[in-house]
Amino acid sequence: MEKGYYTENSAIIINRELTELDLFLKDFLEVLKKHSDYLVVSGFVSISTGRTRGTEDIDILVPLSDEIKFKELFEDLINNGFWCYQSDRYKEAYTYIKNYDNIRFAKIDEMYPNIEFVPIDESRKAKYFEFTHPQKIKIKDFEFKIPPIEFEILYKELILRGEKDIADARHLRYFFSDIIDKNKLIKYEKIIENELK
Amino acid sequence: MRIKIEKSPDKDIDYVKLYALNLNKNPRLFVQQKKFIESQIKSSRELFKKRFGRGKEFKINAREYLRNIGIL
Repeated sequence: MEKGYYTENSAIIINRELTELDLFLKDFLEVLKKHSDYLVVSGFVSISTGRTRGTEDIDILVPLSDEIKFKELFEDLINNGFWCYQSDRYKEAYTYIKNYDNIRFAKIDEMYPNIEFVPIDESRKAKYFEFTHPQKIKIKDFEFKIPPIEFEILYKELILRGEKDIADARHLRYFFSDIIDKNKLIKYEKIIENELK
Repeated sequence: MRIKIEKSPDKDIDYVKLYALNLNKNPRLFVQQKKFIESQIKSSRELFKKRFGRGKEFKINAREYLRNIGIL
């Protein structure tokens, strides 16, 4: 019997066609990956695995870089059809990044969907943990990295806690009920509780 | 595509569980999700193009809108 997903070589393969939202993310990651590592987090993790709700943005964790590397990335994104909400100039956009403020990119002449670009470093412990423990996920030929499913569930249930986040977590708990590792839930809960202290 | 219901959901969150469990057994339900997502993107694209124009004009109007809603 066909299932919604299966695992192959430690990657989760989602059994569906690509959507326009996936293709938007794919275009962005094709540029980003030339310059930096990344992790796709939050709502898109649930949506990419079947949660049916609207969204405006896709959150991506990106390690904080120096200004020269950021300039190269910024200009490559602009040359590949994206615009930055905050500024057309990399220097001004970088003032947000170096203060750990998020910036957003969308396709030219479009507002939504957009990428919420979240700069991180080791000081943001929970985010850095998920960033350094990626889970591969694949839809058709599009492979990208998300947090461990167990971590994403707990982050939504314990830290974010909004109605939308609880529903996203519930979706992940039931959709992935065959593969959720209870030991990981216990381990990750301690890491997330530390974030709350 | 119909979802098999053994017990009627009570709260909104129960529908999330029902859909996730059925989606796991029946990936054809992803077709509905794709339609929903792409409909939202198409509507948004048309709305903001009409409202903000194109090119440089789009960015000026979009940033003014973003400032008004507190994103910038």
